[in-house]
Amino acid sequence: MSRAAPGTGAVAGRWPAGRAVGVGALIVLVVLAVLPLLGGTSNATLLTLTLMLTSIGVAINWNLTGGFTGYVDFGHAVWFGIGAYATAILISLQSNGPQVGWPPVPAILVGALVAGFLAAIIGRATMRLKGPYFSIAMLGTFVAVREIVRVWSPLTGGGVGLTLPPYLNRALFYYVELALVTVLVVGTWWLRRTRFGAALVAIREDEVGAETRGIDTTRLKTAVFSFAGLSTGLFGALWAYQNTFVDPDIAFVEVRTIDAVMGTMLGGLGTVAGPVLGAAALYWVRELLWTHLLDAHLLAQGVLLIVIVLFVPRGLVGLVDRRGTSLFELWGWKGWSRGLRQGPVAGGEAEAAS
Amino acid sequence: MTALLEARGVVKRFGGLTAVDGVDISVGTGEMVGLIGPNGSGKTTLFDCLSRVQTIDAGSIRFDGVDIAGRRAHDVARLGMSRTFQLIRVYRDLSVAENMHLSIQWGSIGVPQLFARTDAATRRRADELLDFLLLGPLRHERAGNLSGGQRRLLEIGMSLMSEPRLVLLDEATSGVNPSLVADIADRLREVNTQRQVAFLLVEHNVQFVADLCERVVVLDQGAVLAEGTPGEVTQDPTVIEAYFGDPGDAGEDAP
Amino acid sequence: MSYFAQALVNGIALGGMYTILVLGFSIIWGVMGVINLAHGEFVMVGAYLAWMASDFWDVDPFISAPVVFVVMLLFGYLVQRVLVNRIIDRSSLVSLLVMFGVSIILQSVMKIAFSADFRLANTDLDGAWRLSDQLTIPVTRFWILVVAVGVTAGLGLFLGHSRLGKSIRAAAQNREAARIVGVDVKKVYAVTFALCIGLTGVAGALISPLLAVQPFQGPPLTLKAFAITAMAGLGSVRGALGGAMVLGMVEAMLALYVDRIGTNLAVVASFVLLVAALVLRPQGIFKGLRHVDATST
Repeated sequence: MSRAAPGTGAVAGRWPAGRAVGVGALIVLVVLAVLPLLGGTSNATLLTLTLMLTSIGVAINWNLTGGFTGYVDFGHAVWFGIGAYATAILISLQSNGPQVGWPPVPAILVGALVAGFLAAIIGRATMRLKGPYFSIAMLGTFVAVREIVRVWSPLTGGGVGLTLPPYLNRALFYYVELALVTVLVVGTWWLRRTRFGAALVAIREDEVGAETRGIDTTRLKTAVFSFAGLSTGLFGALWAYQNTFVDPDIAFVEVRTIDAVMGTMLGGLGTVAGPVLGAAALYWVRELLWTHLLDAHLLAQGVLLIVIVLFVPRGLVGLVDRRGTSLFELWGWKGWSRGLRQGPVAGGEAEAAS
Repeated sequence: MTALLEARGVVKRFGGLTAVDGVDISVGTGEMVGLIGPNGSGKTTLFDCLSRVQTIDAGSIRFDGVDIAGRRAHDVARLGMSRTFQLIRVYRDLSVAENMHLSIQWGSIGVPQLFARTDAATRRRADELLDFLLLGPLRHERAGNLSGGQRRLLEIGMSLMSEPRLVLLDEATSGVNPSLVADIADRLREVNTQRQVAFLLVEHNVQFVADLCERVVVLDQGAVLAEGTPGEVTQDPTVIEAYFGDPGDAGEDAP
Repeated sequence: MSYFAQALVNGIALGGMYTILVLGFSIIWGVMGVINLAHGEFVMVGAYLAWMASDFWDVDPFISAPVVFVVMLLFGYLVQRVLVNRIIDRSSLVSLLVMFGVSIILQSVMKIAFSADFRLANTDLDGAWRLSDQLTIPVTRFWILVVAVGVTAGLGLFLGHSRLGKSIRAAAQNREAARIVGVDVKKVYAVTFALCIGLTGVAGALISPLLAVQPFQGPPLTLKAFAITAMAGLGSVRGALGGAMVLGMVEAMLALYVDRIGTNLAVVASFVLLVAALVLRPQGIFKGLRHVDATST
């Protein structure tokens, strides 16, 4: 989000206030870092902040495929659940007698790797599908995996779930997740400026064009999809350990995907700052709705989703800078429904002129 | 001249429709070949087959001695065959310069370079090409904001960025301001003579083809109807029947 | 062998249920290009209406279905005017998200109104006909199948031969051309959407004695409707019937040969089927109203 550079990222970098944004981000980071050191920050507050960071992290990962590559994943929360479950299974492994569960650190890392590995396999198949087909296939993957987890009781504990040993150092998890989110923000900022990041946007803009110009689109898009799965799996693994309990209905929650999609859109699809701002804002809006509306919070959220989509298509970032991708452009009507016959929308006028 | 591109018996069917029906076509190193034919004769489909955007149902395609019929499109591009599209494909949300930077020879990009920014040499080369194509002043413009003709030029520029040995140009002049058409012809000839880049041109503008190419292939209903010098082809009665007899736009351009 | 015969009967019965469930979704997608992610919630609302009729006034769902049809038709028209009209020319992602918002809203409203308790409507057309010791025909599902086949045939005739039906097909195939030859596309869309939501409500009414009526029953139904439609071809009436039968058969056979398979795992099966079908045959199995290819943009 800082200085503009000519060349790769030229369009992405035309923001005169870039330096101010960088400084602002740094200040926020410092405030968040010293917060637990001040007296009076309760464990409950730390947990709330940690969950907010989780939400931001998942939104950043979702944005890698949904925002940059243009593959709108409606089942992203599946990687969160898989990371959580893989970790929980490893930690709570039991033989006949003594507990043989793994120590937390390797269990969490392997949990994330399992999510990334499965994302690589499933992404390979589903990313052949485009537009709404991909989205719904991922939604189906999500539902399917949850049911498999529910049925596969010898390993997953079935509907009853798994209980993990208690370990409740809230500050430690808070710092770990703060560090992770920081790395992800800096990482996406850097990625957007590399050839890889530009190639991802090329896939979003015109996948056939990118492929014919020598970009191995299959490899790049599955790579970024797998990374997003791994990273969200890591947040899931951390969440499982903090929550000390997993069952299918709390590990695999549609709302986590909805939050990632809504947060990213609220902030600005395909931008670096978008998912961070949007997910954070949405998190607090939800807390407010939850406390004040109780039963109606879901209702309010549905209304909010419709309002964002219809009236703030470029997101918060788009209000100050037009670099965010508008939803209206991401899947143009012609883009997918008539694509086979007419090609990309770009050629329309050329055809008329010939 | 050894054949750079050698396609034999290429067949492409869509359901019951045979769009390309056993086409043989070859392009030699540094050669400029025209591909003409009435609307719907299968020119663009043949291009899609050659560049592996479409799979083929029968036949063989060799490029530079390599069988590419089973290769994926990006592999073909990396081997040195690039193309443009009849319905222009540029990355509309990216700048003109970024479009160029994304059309490099990806075969030479290893993982470390993938995670690096575009290097200075590539930028310089892109700027030179843009200047050469008269797009220099627009390099920071969003590609979606360019006019149709400017986008054509940009796409030609992109197809040249990867230092290809063969470029398939699909309707390079359609929608382009007539005053620019002669410029495009000059540019293509220059690239052809200086860098030995071969071209296969699909064109409606027969004059343009006649000016540039020594050899012209005429396609009709998915099959090769005639082949020869522009002079020979335009005298061929079957071609006149199938193509110039058609009161379409192409007839008016006939010499 | 007789178990197999029973599974065959179950599969056909299930297919009949899926047919009536999928038609509205399929036609809206095929004609308007809108993927109605709130489809399952419209089914749910229809089911609640039938349950209310059954519970409060003791009216059989098969009798209240026409009333449900009219109520849902009006509701659909309202949703079309307020929301769908705004999203129809926009990208498909916009319509997905907006309809998803509608689904959350409907779930929430129904939960506030009726709590999350499971309900079932009563019908006199219940029980089973015993043909032999090992072969029975479930009565409710049989009558649903009859209605489904009737509705499918009626819709086929309507789309194929009536003036309005022809306008609908024209608008589906080429909106601009339809507009030029004088079809009031906006009106066609409004009618299509209202009609399909009415039909979807009827589907909800008919399954209300079979499937627990509750606010969150919708999403699996939407997923199945999507799977069948994508497999069968958008807006294809015959395809909807065929696809629904395939899915019903697959589920019934799975139940026969795989232990412990519940309705939830059946969703898994339908999705494996869907992804396989899309990857292998992206343009759908039947010829639909709208040509698409799931693997090309």
